[in-house]
Amino acid sequence: MSSRKKVLLKVIILGDSGVGKTSLMNQFVNKKFSNQYKATIGADFLTKEVIVDDRIVTMQIWDTAGQERFQSLGVAFYRGADCCVLVFDVTAPNTFKSLESWRDEFLIQASPRDPESFPFVILGNKVDLENRAVSAKRAQQWCQSKNDIPYYETSAKEAVNVELAFQTIARNALAQETEAELYNDFPDHIKLNANDNSRNKDGDNCAC
Amino acid sequence: MSSSSVEDIPDQCKDLFTQDGVLLKACIGRPVTDLNSIGMLCIVQNVDNTKCIEWRPNDLITIDSDTQDQEWAVVNTIGRRQRTLSGNITSDYATARARIIRIPLEDLKTFRVTRNNQQMQFSTKPGVWQSTFYFQHGNAEIFVAYLKNHVKTAKTRHDRNTYVVVEPNVESQVLNKSFAELDIFTENTTDVVWNLVSNFKQRPYETTMEAFSKLTDIVYYGNEATNGKRDVSEEVADLLTKSMSALEDATSVTRNDEYEVISVKPTLPPRPSIPRGTPLSAEKWEGLQDTEGRVTEVEGVKQLIFRGGVAHSIRQTVWKYLLDYYPWHMTHAQLRVLHKKKTEEYFSMKLQWRSMTEGQESRFTEYRDRKSLVEKDVNRTDRTHPFFAGDDNPNLVVLSDILMTYVMYNFDLGYVQGMSDILAPLLLLLGNEVDSFWCFVGFMEKIASNFDMDQAGMKHQLLQLQQLLTFASPELARHLAAKDSGNMYFCFRWLLVWFKREFSHRDIMRLWEVLWTGLPCNNFHLLICVAILDAEKDSLISRDCGFTEILKHVNDLSMCLDVDRILSSAEGIYHQILSAPHLTDQIRVILGLPTVGTSTSSEEVASTSQADNGTVEDSDHSLYGKDMEEGTLKYDGIEIYIVSKTVWALLS
Repeated sequence: MSSRKKVLLKVIILGDSGVGKTSLMNQFVNKKFSNQYKATIGADFLTKEVIVDDRIVTMQIWDTAGQERFQSLGVAFYRGADCCVLVFDVTAPNTFKSLESWRDEFLIQASPRDPESFPFVILGNKVDLENRAVSAKRAQQWCQSKNDIPYYETSAKEAVNVELAFQTIARNALAQETEAELYNDFPDHIKLNANDNSRNKDGDNCAC
Repeated sequence: MSSSSVEDIPDQCKDLFTQDGVLLKACIGRPVTDLNSIGMLCIVQNVDNTKCIEWRPNDLITIDSDTQDQEWAVVNTIGRRQRTLSGNITSDYATARARIIRIPLEDLKTFRVTRNNQQMQFSTKPGVWQSTFYFQHGNAEIFVAYLKNHVKTAKTRHDRNTYVVVEPNVESQVLNKSFAELDIFTENTTDVVWNLVSNFKQRPYETTMEAFSKLTDIVYYGNEATNGKRDVSEEVADLLTKSMSALEDATSVTRNDEYEVISVKPTLPPRPSIPRGTPLSAEKWEGLQDTEGRVTEVEGVKQLIFRGGVAHSIRQTVWKYLLDYYPWHMTHAQLRVLHKKKTEEYFSMKLQWRSMTEGQESRFTEYRDRKSLVEKDVNRTDRTHPFFAGDDNPNLVVLSDILMTYVMYNFDLGYVQGMSDILAPLLLLLGNEVDSFWCFVGFMEKIASNFDMDQAGMKHQLLQLQQLLTFASPELARHLAAKDSGNMYFCFRWLLVWFKREFSHRDIMRLWEVLWTGLPCNNFHLLICVAILDAEKDSLISRDCGFTEILKHVNDLSMCLDVDRILSSAEGIYHQILSAPHLTDQIRVILGLPTVGTSTSSEEVASTSQADNGTVEDSDHSLYGKDMEEGTLKYDGIEIYIVSKTVWALLS
């Protein structure tokens, strides 16, 4: 397993302006939080190596501007994404309502091979604040209704659940990537069948 | 060449190789009607064992078929001509015969394959590609392979698609032996080669002639005193090719009905090094106003600011003029009246949103959305700068108030991300809420299209930037295109907030005031982009950056750029473009220069540049341009060259 080629996972963070996309990315990659991050203009990315199931993978995390009118340019960066992270601010209901359109827009623009199973992760950010306006239950319900998207409540400021959330993001992105790999990885496939064969010698697998 | 002797050649010619599906694209001395016809390219052996490349139009072959004489059709072309001349054959046939193109191999100097094996060009004379053929099936390499059986060629390090014929036919050894004796390769080959190569740039034609004449000498004067130890044929091949391509770059072929004109064109002239000037000083500024405070020599002032910026001590005043808050022609008294009026206007707009009740707000979603965006961005604008740092900083309130008032001033546009970046340096410098607001309004006028809902203005500028880069730095433009970056998205941040994120506050003030002058041309900010990119060309190309690396590299340039050097090279690039003989109307339109190609009248040019939002424009150009002295202006012994005067004169 460990001898496999290096894997690069491209992750896109989307969500309304000011929900904390840049802060989440920086908390995860640099373990830092600052009130002084500027509004993102254009796009930028950070990379981080993580270990997922004994494999070293590089996450390339893309951060784009949140204001709606800049999205027509953001799509240039969606291409080849392995996972999409949708962020909302638990103190701002509008940012929660926008999730649906962010998700739809991403699927249209990135046009992944299998939109139904493309991995998304939802983050409800700023749980450190007191004026919470979107309940965990409401968010969870929505995520369940959307093909059981994993949901995490995070605080980029206090590093709550950030590591955990990005581990899941990496794992799901890798699953997506591996699936794509298997698709073209004939020898692996054969090996799998060979094991199957040895296990049930007189099974009903003679059709193979 | 042999065309004159064609009639004397007896009948027995032999086709050594033929390839069909070859179009004649260009041939010097042939009428334009001959071009773009399809035919066959052959290698032919004449009776006297000399060989030539021959192209025959297909209609000739058809005629041959019609005459029921097919064995002659392909093989014996020369003999046909004699018959034609003797009048035995139809005039159609004669016409077709006259269109045959022959290139004797002994005359062939260079040939090259371009466009993915689709095009071949032949040259028998230094500096001129006499004929160009298009291979429909993209298989020119086959022809080359056969041709190489008959001529000895050297590929060149410089361009592997170009072949120099070092020996016209394999029998002759003269040339090969003699290269070693070429006195251009005496002691230090490298130096001589370098001299020659650098000469090519300055005077490609003469140098090429010189190089070829040396070769000719060898061909004619043979190989006495053969003591050559080095095989320098490759160097010679290189030299010749370089001279050919230098000429290629420097010449263009214009087709003019019946003949082609070879004219000097392409390469961008060398970039002039233009030193920056000193900032407009307080004393100079005072001297430029009349007793009542009117600024009379507006163009002169702008020239000075363009050259060196504005001294910090007078920025507060001068910026108001540059941002069209204060009209240049107003007296101090008039300005006082204006200031009072603008102050009232500002506070009445401010009152509009300040007096909104919570209830009103709750029923006014669009307003609420704008307000929420402003709040979010104000809290993250330049917070590391002492002026905006710390909790409960009152300057943040002012920043927010100005942006909210701007929402009321232009509700349709509202607040768009990036505006707080634009406003922050203005407020930092002016300190005053009202002045900052009106200067912000003036700045927004210049760049309003950056914030279009559909981003049309940004997309348009990115396209224009790509076009300028293609003209000014073609190698880099090609590289970017090959790396999925031809859309120039990585320059988005530069353009949206006019490089605000790339420079310190001190430097952005300098850059902006220079750009606000609108000199030396429209869209000078795009040339700033070109200058930055051109300076990064080597690292972008040599590291073989892809889409992500390019974006990272460009983003990481932030706070690492030297504003004066960039301004200087952008101006240099402007002059390079301006004096490029192959300057196109597309580029002229971007820079707001009068076009020459079509019947575009000066009015149209003017309206184009005015409609082109996001560019620096100034209606004063025409007003004051007329009063200018011819060519130069003098202030305190400083001579200013009026770069764009002609342009304004034409625009007015």
